[in-house]
Amino acid sequence: MSIVRSSRIALPLVAVLALTACAGDAETTPEGPDDTASTPEAAEIRLWLNGTDTPQELRDYLTETFAAENPGSTLVIEEQDWNGLVPRLQTALASEQQSPDVVEIGNTQAPTFAYAGAFADLTDLYEEVGGEDLLQGFVEAGSVDGAVYALPYYSGARAVFYRADLFEAAGVAEPTTLAEFTDAAIALQEANPEGTANFSGFWFPGQDWYNGTAWVYTHGGDLAVQEGDQWVGALSSPESQEGLAEVQRLFTEATNAPRDADSNEPWVPFNNGEAGMFSAPTWARWSIDLPECNEGVDPEDTSPEAEEARAAQAACNDEHTGVFALPGLTEGEAATVFAGGSNIAIPTNSQHPELARSLLEIMFAEEYQTMLAENGLIPANSQYADALGDDEYATAALDAALGAKLTPAAESWADVEGARLLEDFFQQVANGADPAEAAAETDRLIADTLN
Amino acid sequence: MSAPAAAPQRAGAPVGSRSPHPPGPDRVTQGGRGRRRRARAGRGALGAVAVAVALLWVFPIYWMISSAFLPTNRLRTPEPTFIPLDGTLANFRRVLGDPTFFSSFRVSLAVTGLTLVAAILFAFLAALALSRFRFRGRRSFVVAVLVVQMIPAEALFISQYQMLDTWQLVNSVLGLTIVYVAAILPFTIWMLRGFVAGVPIELEEAAMVDGLSRTGAFFRITFPLLAPGLVASGVYGFLQAWNEYTLALVVMTDPARRTLPLWLQGLVEANRATDWGVVMAGATLIAVPVIVFFLVVQHRMTAGLVAGAVKG
Amino acid sequence: MPAARSTPVPALPAPPAPVAPAPGVAPGGRRRRRRPANLGVYLLLVPAAIPVLVGLGYPLARQFVISFQEYGLAQQFGRPAEWVGLDNYVTLLTDPYVWGVIARSVAFCLVNAALTMTLGMALAVLMRSVGRAARLTLQVGMLLAWGTPVLATTTVWQWLFDSQYGVINWLLAEPLGVTGMRYHSWLIEPASFYLVATVIVVWMSVPFVVFTVYAGLLQVPGETMEAAQLDGASGRQRFWLITIPMIKPVLFVVALLQVIWDLRVFTQIHVLQRAGAPTRETHLLGTYIYSLAKEFSMAGAMATIMLVLTLALTWFYIRRMLREEEM
Repeated sequence: MSIVRSSRIALPLVAVLALTACAGDAETTPEGPDDTASTPEAAEIRLWLNGTDTPQELRDYLTETFAAENPGSTLVIEEQDWNGLVPRLQTALASEQQSPDVVEIGNTQAPTFAYAGAFADLTDLYEEVGGEDLLQGFVEAGSVDGAVYALPYYSGARAVFYRADLFEAAGVAEPTTLAEFTDAAIALQEANPEGTANFSGFWFPGQDWYNGTAWVYTHGGDLAVQEGDQWVGALSSPESQEGLAEVQRLFTEATNAPRDADSNEPWVPFNNGEAGMFSAPTWARWSIDLPECNEGVDPEDTSPEAEEARAAQAACNDEHTGVFALPGLTEGEAATVFAGGSNIAIPTNSQHPELARSLLEIMFAEEYQTMLAENGLIPANSQYADALGDDEYATAALDAALGAKLTPAAESWADVEGARLLEDFFQQVANGADPAEAAAETDRLIADTLN
Repeated sequence: MSAPAAAPQRAGAPVGSRSPHPPGPDRVTQGGRGRRRRARAGRGALGAVAVAVALLWVFPIYWMISSAFLPTNRLRTPEPTFIPLDGTLANFRRVLGDPTFFSSFRVSLAVTGLTLVAAILFAFLAALALSRFRFRGRRSFVVAVLVVQMIPAEALFISQYQMLDTWQLVNSVLGLTIVYVAAILPFTIWMLRGFVAGVPIELEEAAMVDGLSRTGAFFRITFPLLAPGLVASGVYGFLQAWNEYTLALVVMTDPARRTLPLWLQGLVEANRATDWGVVMAGATLIAVPVIVFFLVVQHRMTAGLVAGAVKG
Repeated sequence: MPAARSTPVPALPAPPAPVAPAPGVAPGGRRRRRRPANLGVYLLLVPAAIPVLVGLGYPLARQFVISFQEYGLAQQFGRPAEWVGLDNYVTLLTDPYVWGVIARSVAFCLVNAALTMTLGMALAVLMRSVGRAARLTLQVGMLLAWGTPVLATTTVWQWLFDSQYGVINWLLAEPLGVTGMRYHSWLIEPASFYLVATVIVVWMSVPFVVFTVYAGLLQVPGETMEAAQLDGASGRQRFWLITIPMIKPVLFVVALLQVIWDLRVFTQIHVLQRAGAPTRETHLLGTYIYSLAKEFSMAGAMATIMLVLTLALTWFYIRRMLREEEM
């Protein structure tokens, strides 16, 4: 009990208030007076993981290892959906009875909850679980005033997929700089080797700010920056504008993607032969299914012939498809692309913070980090990223991830995304608006939202 | 589809000479053979219009069902597939092979069933009080029920959750049912109130003159006339509870307690790239009980027969 | 007796069954008809009142209270909520953008409610006038549109209007030969965005109106109609002078609900915005509140504003209804 209490004292004022607010329930918590030993009482703890990014094998590993290291205690993993996660966190995290003990949270959502006092302070754990080796952008997203409330979980980066056969037919080579990328996309669209209707050199729909941001970041620009205690929108900065000029050129000359579409499912036009390139998280390779390779295998068929056909199909897709990390301004470096991923945190209302910490220790140990990497995720601790492998997909992913950058770690950044300001902004650029004018207006809206 | 088809529906009810029955506003019951034939042709034409409207309305649903028979990589292609001739049942097999579909089905069925019974019963009693009796506070009650529906409930789920949490009703069918009943009741009360008010009290009185008790008169005379209203409210309540997402989302966080709309959302995220064919198959299967429910209750939704009702 | 009493129903259907005066009962019936409430009547209200008060009343009251506070996520985790008086209201009502949203929402709401009611009533009358097979076909079609999970139907609508792969563009371009429409962007212009939204909203709301109004039509006693017909009333007269007044209570509540629902329409707009429409130019009240949702107090204030707006839009109606109520 003493340990529990001392860890609570370390919490900032906000969290302490939260606890006093619920003090009425104190006697119902299972902490007896004799429970002064340092081993926490055995209990069942709950971990919320979102979507299917964490494969079953890793989940099994966690439950088994946790049970082995905490005799008598069990770990229950409850899968949540990304869509609808925020309302659930808004309600369940505020409840002593219902709060899970460890939660995964999107990196853009992390600041909002960290500032609100929803998470316990993990600063003392920070060094132990990796310190400087942890993905720093994600650490920043989970920190408030120098204290760490949410640790990185994993990151995914974007890479560019292309049709190798179309490249060859159009006489285009894999670009090595960002400028070359634009030229390649334009050349490819002009060549349109198969004469496809409405062909796009690069699939770049109007609201695709995930990809558009890469040009802003790579030219040294930003979405918003902190000046003193105020946030200001940074799309008007000369660096951002340089990137945006190039973005507009891509929109005009290198794509026929609809202006009223977002970045969802870019492999659909690619599979239809209507796009020569698209940029997406590296797991998109599993969605590539070119018609010339499709063997029409029934997905439930597990016979050896079906397996063989599937293998042939995958090989054919791989052969027709290439992948590279979006190149940077100069040859040999990667662009600063937009990174997405997750943080992991212990809710303030967790009734078993000691057990929750024990789970975090398991998750940050070498074994689990390696398992994450082996499954194609960039692990929280970059030391273990080598386990990603060395095929071209892993290389592209790693190259992209090393230079990747997150959205600004502002308390209300999630509101900027909620208001879809960047979708609107890139759509205006795609629609031919003057980038400087559109940027000035969006900067104002971003500042209004963040401050 | 031809005119006389409607008649058997009403068989059994009419009394004596009043039987050749009634009439939508444009129906002709008198007149020569020529008029009757014209009327019949007119009804045939109207029937054709009705079927055409139905087909038009159902097109998006048809598209959903057709998509459920296609592999996902054929859903969005430059040439749309209008008829899935070489379709596959794989999507349906995947849904039916998923044990969580059935567990969610049970949860949804329990919540919807409880909600429906409670909401209709409570609303019925309240509607009765409001339209058959005069009492202090009646008007205020009516206004309150009306205004409650006008307030947007955007930030409501926070308070509702806290309330259920205090009573340990989070992740419970009962807890979700309570908030659903609350959400459905105002409309249901209003609806049934209109229906009870629409049944002339003289009918009951006449039956009482015949020797029935007040309660007896009510259940023999008024109640059958309310059947269409009860069915319409029932369909409304069923659909609201069956398809509700937001409240279920915050109340049912335990994956084992998911309702079907939550399950369907889970299906969207079951793969990193959504397998839309499977999602459409899932949605199609979710819609089946709605139709079954309706087909079970729809025969009550035919012309209430004043005359027939009084006969008893 | 309420509303229906005051309506110009020519003659209440005479009790159709042979009325044999049963001694002793008739006078009692008369008297009890206006029976003032004894306490028992409240028992009928209690089962409905409790869930509404608990499940809606309390949360609504609380939503109203926090609209005068600063109440966001941090307050959920114990930070004390500060009273800010009317600040939230002032912030919202002094923002010209909010007034733009309100104006758009009112226009959208009136157009959609009117279209839905007109179509719904027409189809309900149609349903009443056709044979069983046609009626069931229409009913099942309507029910499918109403009862299929919204996630699926909104996705399908999105596909139908998709610029690149939409069936609508395909149909316009291929069989109909309007090749300019092959890759038409439906969502990029607010006007055409609202057109698409109206199609989807009306498609989803008409079935409710049809079922409810149809149920109301069924209650119109055939005898009244026959009597009126014998008196020489034309079909049109019978409809406007008998049917409409008799189903007025139902029409009233359905129309009111359409106004309420269409004013706060959320899902369809949200989905279309996510599909690629310019967000800020297409916000209506429902989606705008949602974008404020992390500030619960702001959303609460907006909810109150919407209540006032709804009351203003429906005031005429409500007053009339309450007056009839008194009779």
